[in-house]
Amino acid sequence: MGRSRRPSKQMLLLLEALSAHTQQWRHGYDLMKETGLLSGTLYPLLIRMTDQGLVEAEWREPEHPGRPARHAYRLTSAGVAFARMATPAGPMAFTKAAFA
Amino acid sequence: MKPAVSRALLSLASRSLGSDRRTWAMAMEAEFEAAVEDRRPFLFALGCLFVAWREIGKHSEGRLILASYALALGLLIPMAALQFQQAVGFLSSADGPPYGIPSAGDGPNLYLIWSQNSAIPILLITWLLLAMAHLCLAWMLVEGDWPRIVKCGTLIGAAMITLSLFMGVLMLDLSSLKAQVAELVIEFVAVVAISRWHIRISSDASPELLAR
Repeated sequence: MGRSRRPSKQMLLLLEALSAHTQQWRHGYDLMKETGLLSGTLYPLLIRMTDQGLVEAEWREPEHPGRPARHAYRLTSAGVAFARMATPAGPMAFTKAAFA
Repeated sequence: MKPAVSRALLSLASRSLGSDRRTWAMAMEAEFEAAVEDRRPFLFALGCLFVAWREIGKHSEGRLILASYALALGLLIPMAALQFQQAVGFLSSADGPPYGIPSAGDGPNLYLIWSQNSAIPILLITWLLLAMAHLCLAWMLVEGDWPRIVKCGTLIGAAMITLSLFMGVLMLDLSSLKAQVAELVIEFVAVVAISRWHIRISSDASPELLAR
């Protein structure tokens, strides 16, 4: 299975962003800004992690009227467990600075 | 200008993702406004297009889209170019001796010259119609507009039959059509194969996807 492979540094960055507040729904563009990942990297990761059941997604009402509903993401319980397993030293172990 | 280009790129990405990934295409479109506010719509849209093209070979609908593009770019557009070339070539050769009859010692047949010259406009229009119909067919195939593909295919068939009859009866020369008829048969088989593939994918899709 794909999950048995060591996660890429981009995936670790995304896991870090999502595991900081596991109950909070996050928008794609906010995740891009926080992780520094481009849309071409972020969305394949989100698609793969959603297919693997690590991330759940749902449509959220827009914050401003007249805007379209936005897709929001958060870790599932399996995703939280995977994030802990992938980073035994805790979330601070895979910050952006660590990969720089 | 740039937001318009970015929007076009995003639209292309959205179309390329196919119905399997329709939710993701909508998710990307919903985030586009945030990218515009951040003044980075082009980079965002380019990334989305990259995602779509990476995903395209992974699902059956994506492979169908690729096959449609390959058929349009590899066969239909060259066929259209060939028809335009034939039309131009036909026009330039119209000043020469009558078609199909080698020059005889007793001079050219005036009736034949008159009848062939009279047929030139309609033949030229038919060649150009064939060329335009091929361009339209390529566009419709990429768009996946099957009702219009059927109409356009019928028009091409009718135009080809008209052209064959006129060339055979009036010009007494079908040599320029031989290769085209063979290519038209290949084209017909390829379009039918793609349509069968499309029907199979549509029947495999869930009722929810069909409703969208």
